[in-house]
Amino acid sequence: MTDWSHLVDLEKCTVSPRVFVDEEVYRDEQERVFGRCWLYLAHESQLPDPGDFVTHYMGEESVLVCRTATGKIRVFLNSCRHRGARICRLDIGNAKTFTCPYHGWTYDNQGRLVGVPQFKEAYYEELNREDWGLIEVPRVESFRGLIFACFDENAQSLDAYLGDMKWYLDLIFNKTEGGMVVMPGLHRWNLGGNWKLAAEQFNGDNYHTGAAHESMLKIGLGPANGQFLGDQPWVRDFEAKLDNGHGWINFKIDMAGGVPAPLAHHMERMQAAARQRLTPAQSELVGCVHVGNVFPNFSILTFLGFLTIRVWHPRGPHNMEVYSWGMIEHEAPPEVVEIARKMQILTFSPSGIFEQDDGEMWGNSVKAMRGLHRRNFPLNYQMGAGHGRTDPDKPGLIHPPSTEIGIFGVYEQWQALMGGA
Amino acid sequence: MMNAADRTRLRHAFEELLYHEAWLLDNDKLEEWLELFTDTIRYWAPVRGNMESGQEDLSRPHLLAHFDDDKTSLTLRVKRLRTGAAHAEEPRSRIRHFVSNVQILETDGPDRVKVGSNFQVFRSRWEGTEHLFVGCREDWWRRIDNTWKNEERFILLDHNVLENMTVFF
Repeated sequence: MTDWSHLVDLEKCTVSPRVFVDEEVYRDEQERVFGRCWLYLAHESQLPDPGDFVTHYMGEESVLVCRTATGKIRVFLNSCRHRGARICRLDIGNAKTFTCPYHGWTYDNQGRLVGVPQFKEAYYEELNREDWGLIEVPRVESFRGLIFACFDENAQSLDAYLGDMKWYLDLIFNKTEGGMVVMPGLHRWNLGGNWKLAAEQFNGDNYHTGAAHESMLKIGLGPANGQFLGDQPWVRDFEAKLDNGHGWINFKIDMAGGVPAPLAHHMERMQAAARQRLTPAQSELVGCVHVGNVFPNFSILTFLGFLTIRVWHPRGPHNMEVYSWGMIEHEAPPEVVEIARKMQILTFSPSGIFEQDDGEMWGNSVKAMRGLHRRNFPLNYQMGAGHGRTDPDKPGLIHPPSTEIGIFGVYEQWQALMGGA
Repeated sequence: MMNAADRTRLRHAFEELLYHEAWLLDNDKLEEWLELFTDTIRYWAPVRGNMESGQEDLSRPHLLAHFDDDKTSLTLRVKRLRTGAAHAEEPRSRIRHFVSNVQILETDGPDRVKVGSNFQVFRSRWEGTEHLFVGCREDWWRRIDNTWKNEERFILLDHNVLENMTVFF
């Protein structure tokens, strides 16, 4: 196996452009990153009943996520064992069995091959159906309704993998009794750019906001103080570098336009609910802007009362496909859900007035880094290196925005996985 | 009930209006374009999906959308493009709207008409980045002081997986 660890320089905090543009690196990444890490699949509120299913991807693998009769979630490759065709071509639904459209092999939602046309006449009953069930993804675990799966049978538990990230995820997913629920529908769109550029931005890039989102400040839709920094550094306005390549951005801003009254009222109620469930240190942070990434490619962003969660699916080194959902507290009244939904569409969606400009950047980077000469010159991830601190009140290595301590953590983790061993 | 000649005249009037609208969009006259809408406009483009036949229900409460704008948010989108810092449209894309299949779908008295149309929007960006957006619109137009204004635009995009959406429909 090729050892790619030299592409990340841990001493100098630099990363080679090859990490983002090289076809060979990309191919090995499918196996060593996407084949070993816990990957986000679905939220339990999308699959409430036995027989419910959703289709999704793990890296480039098409997968089928099923809730079986016993309530257990199982994940299978969405590919028939006979000729490999996709057996389920729907996004979401309810079914006891799945019949391959090509030759009619039929599987139940536990992956068993239960129907083979002409089993007697053509196979002479010699086909051992037990050997030809759907290929199952061996590990499936959830945290606060977030379902993850992993191709590596020997991987650490999801609980251990998330580690300190759980403390931060709880600020969103455990702040109320009912938790978060997914709104119907899915934003799917193609973007130029390597998936890691999106993941690292959500992991800990507050630095881009002034330049990339300058248009928002110019129309008076940004923070009242003109910068996305907040006024309580270390305490409430910080970034956290977490183990296993995860990262979190936290800050509190007053939006120039304010938040609509019903939404503001709802957010206050949610903060009060959080004080009953979370620690005092956590409760202080509820209601802030939270942005984070679970390594490798599951990101969350909550801003002005809405929550978007998304997966940056790799589609070759130079392209990605985004799957993005809207979520809201189970307790939110319909009026508040509508305000939050419209705010998300306007800001963070394929037409979002923030998101559009991010989407422009990632394609722009790979376009300019593809040349063989450019690849010889590393990218700089040195901002704030060595200046992080630990904090008795919250986990991780903390630093106020802006810093690249957390972002470089993505590449430390990537390097650990992409060595030759 | 309208007779056939009235219907043809009305359809012709809306063909002209929709071609004019496309011309405004293609020639970056977005402030004039905004004037075609009433202050109560809902500009809505729900997401699509792969559902079982007949199961795609666009009226589901809280369904995500590619646009769900009112006059204020549409105006913000236009203002943003004018800042010179809306990077997804700097430098501006080359955009062309094609409108066809114009139909009078419904009338509600002499001053309210529901008009259907199909569209293709071509966008060329950077060097060779080219996208085509295809769909249909159903608009409710109202005649106010002898001018037709759009008070409801429903946009049905025929895409499941989209691109960065910097264009208007």
